[in-house]
Amino acid sequence: MNIKNFVLRVINGSKARIWIMTFGALLCLVVIGIFNTVSTTTSSDSYCMSCHIHPWAEQTWKLGPHHNNRTGVSVHCVECHLPPKGEGYLLAKAKHGAIDVYGYLFKDSSKLNWESKKLLDNAKGFTYEKSCIKCHSNLFPVTLSVNGSNAHLAYINAKEDPKPNCINCHLNVGHFDKNVKHEHDTNFGVDAALSQEKFTSATKVDKFESFTEKIPGTTVAFDMVAIPEGIFNMGSPDNEPLRKPDEGPVHKVKVSKFWMGKIEVSWNEYLAFFQATASQGRTEGQIIVNKNVDAVTGPTPPWGAPDQGWGKGSRPAITMSWRAANTYCEWLSKVTGKKYRLPTEAEWEYACRGNTTTPYFFEGDPKKFSSKGIFKKIFGPDTTTISSHIVYLVNSASKTQDPGSVKANPFGLKNMAGNIAEFCSDFYSPDAYKTGVPFVVNPKGPESGTEHVIRGGSFKSDAKDVRSAARDFTKTQAWLLTDPQMPKSIWWYSDCIDNGFRVVCEADSIK
Amino acid sequence: MKNNMENNSKNINRRKFLGAGVLAGIGVAGASAILSSCSKKLDNAALGLPPILKGAPRGRKLKAGLVGAGNRGTGAAINFISAGPDLEIIALADVFQDKIDNCRKRFESFNLPIPAENCFVGFDAYKKLMAMPEIDVVICATPPHFRPEHFLEAVKNKKHCFLEKPVCVDPVGARLMIATAKKAEALGLCVVTGTQRRHQEDYIETYKQVANGAIGKLVSAKAFWNQEHVWFRMREEGWNDMEYMIRNWNNFCWLCGDHILDTHVHNIDVINWFMGKHPEKAIGYGGRARRVTGDQYDFFSIDYDYGNGVSSHSMCRELDSCANGTGELINGTEGYTNCINTIWNLDGSVKWKFEYPKDENGNTMNTIKISPYVQEHMHLVHAIRTGRYVNEAERTALSTLTAIMGRTAAYTGQMITWDAIMKSDMDLGPRKIEFGPVDMVFDTPLPGTPAHV
Repeated sequence: MNIKNFVLRVINGSKARIWIMTFGALLCLVVIGIFNTVSTTTSSDSYCMSCHIHPWAEQTWKLGPHHNNRTGVSVHCVECHLPPKGEGYLLAKAKHGAIDVYGYLFKDSSKLNWESKKLLDNAKGFTYEKSCIKCHSNLFPVTLSVNGSNAHLAYINAKEDPKPNCINCHLNVGHFDKNVKHEHDTNFGVDAALSQEKFTSATKVDKFESFTEKIPGTTVAFDMVAIPEGIFNMGSPDNEPLRKPDEGPVHKVKVSKFWMGKIEVSWNEYLAFFQATASQGRTEGQIIVNKNVDAVTGPTPPWGAPDQGWGKGSRPAITMSWRAANTYCEWLSKVTGKKYRLPTEAEWEYACRGNTTTPYFFEGDPKKFSSKGIFKKIFGPDTTTISSHIVYLVNSASKTQDPGSVKANPFGLKNMAGNIAEFCSDFYSPDAYKTGVPFVVNPKGPESGTEHVIRGGSFKSDAKDVRSAARDFTKTQAWLLTDPQMPKSIWWYSDCIDNGFRVVCEADSIK
Repeated sequence: MKNNMENNSKNINRRKFLGAGVLAGIGVAGASAILSSCSKKLDNAALGLPPILKGAPRGRKLKAGLVGAGNRGTGAAINFISAGPDLEIIALADVFQDKIDNCRKRFESFNLPIPAENCFVGFDAYKKLMAMPEIDVVICATPPHFRPEHFLEAVKNKKHCFLEKPVCVDPVGARLMIATAKKAEALGLCVVTGTQRRHQEDYIETYKQVANGAIGKLVSAKAFWNQEHVWFRMREEGWNDMEYMIRNWNNFCWLCGDHILDTHVHNIDVINWFMGKHPEKAIGYGGRARRVTGDQYDFFSIDYDYGNGVSSHSMCRELDSCANGTGELINGTEGYTNCINTIWNLDGSVKWKFEYPKDENGNTMNTIKISPYVQEHMHLVHAIRTGRYVNEAERTALSTLTAIMGRTAAYTGQMITWDAIMKSDMDLGPRKIEFGPVDMVFDTPLPGTPAHV
């Protein structure tokens, strides 16, 4: 009997049905078996790590508590980076698998921005809260501390928006990060004191021109740029690409002369303030009635590392609250005898434009620079010109950069756009420009409000949000989401890492 | 189409018939389930209510320790052993020797002596008692200031708990209570609190009526606990600050929480229970007129806002020779109820009345037969012995926090929101609990002046 005969008999014979059913069943088993093997193999740690060879993935996992713990239980890649089986496991596996295959075929893994993947917003995209809860089903183990209990109570009682995610607080439990501290840093800024000679007095200013301010009693100095009086068109015209409605209508604004910090307030500057005024050991939110009315009461020790481990020095200071930024200005005014404060929104935009009327203070089309849209994802945005002026999403490596890395604007100011978003003194309102008045002098914004204006975008921003007219505002509640203290800190934001400020000095500070 | 149907009916084979039969069966069962859920009223279990018991079931012997051996503590311990068979009190803890002695005498008089080596005195006595491995249940009946830390220690030592109300005096304590309640739940430890109205058959039956729509949608409520002045003690020679305050604990806010917690929390708890939620904010006032000792108020009047226009007026007073009374009243769109035994129509006619049992002479009694103070211990023992889990700590903490929100509204004159009181760092009392002088100021709160919320 040859094979052909056998096949014919199987198909046409009297027991054809039984043969076909048996064959079908076997085929099913084989397919399921193969599928299972493939699924298991492609979900193993070694398979994941065969592509995810970036330096920190395996090492930091091994150093972290999901591998290095006293129970001896090791939690594997897919147990956090995919949802639990039966809760969207296969769908998510297919999705991430497709992205990985695309990346494997078309991208150079050494050129990927792995640092940015560690940021909370990105990590949420490939870390599944359902999987956290699957294993950590008991949020109240008997050993949980009072602070931990309070935090978990806040988590389970949280209403939507902003709803905390496990990794809001536990971001580094999967991959160890030595820069992350889980405690009040009572030594914060203490070791920054240098042995250099300290300034004994502030710079004397007798005419309106740029000068270098010296903070008395410290070794810290910073540049102030003289900004001449002028009239400019505030806001963006309706035809500006990628604008938002709150940027209009365009209206004429006159701004008196003032000095503005050449760079954003640096850690050197902010730490001088911190050391002079820090209220160590004081409870958050307590208002101190100080008998010595001249003394400025400053921040409490921060939680963890406010500089995110990126370094201090001339990098911009970040994570302080709007209130803390104002207290800094108050203190700086006191020690220098000048009038320092936050810029108004009008002063900020005037200074940023430097007499330009285009979307940026240099040539360029926001549409070409923006990374949004499917074509940009494939072909990449145009980064010429913008990259030399602005630290933003594409070139920032997801952290603040030293001001030396960019060119100045026409007024000689650096990082007006990008690097970090900057506080203004105005309350934010989307209708702030819709006053019906075509010409205003030194506007100070709405009389009341809850959140304040921030301008300039940050290292996280797309090119469209670092335009000179782009507006944004503080989000106090969301920025304090994971602060475990009750009441929450008035000095530090626990959940905002890309905001700081720049000072202005009033022109009548001339002595 | 017709052909097709005929075809089906003619060629019906065994397998198909079976399938159709099963489907039909499922259909009938499903329909009856739907029908029954429409017509049948929700029962105790579905409404989260405890069973009404004539006694705790038999089972493994349960040994209990009493922490806080004063009047209520001794009473609670007696209630516990009265709840059913094989229940014992084997240990006592208190800060005062005389309280221990009195309690031991009571138990000796029942022929149930408590061994001297199981009696502990001092501020850390509770730790020694809770560390005893033979103890299954801890009864916590000290002044409420100490309740949260005692509860936590009990849960750490894996004890089932009976907690007297109120369960804390400030928001820090309330949060510790809630978190510890969840820890107890994770360990399967049963917790019953001394909110006896929730264990009273007449209240429970009235609640079932209301939950099943007897008065329509709830639109407003009032809760009141107005009574004569309560006990106080004058300072005696030889008492240091701490001893005096603890012996007179009912008159100091840091120990007692004021009477809006101490007693009125019962009424507040009933309103929260019937409303099915806690209020969103409180505004109110109170004052001190005749008190002799301590720093508390004589009266409170609080408006609790439950949202959507629903509010509850809460009042409590401890003054002699005034119009007194205690209870609750809830108005609905279709009637109203006193929460304990009667439902009226909107025109004032009685719609439903709880049927009280008859005494030996055949006369209807005006209370239920089993004291609710004993019934709550029956529930605890029932839960431990049958595995039908109970944990009332969180809801009683929420009712206590509701009272704290009202107290703070009255003390400060401000509107206090639930979110603010839930997050408050108010933590009453001296940092260090020890006998000796206490460096605290006891000004009576003055509304309209800055206050710590």
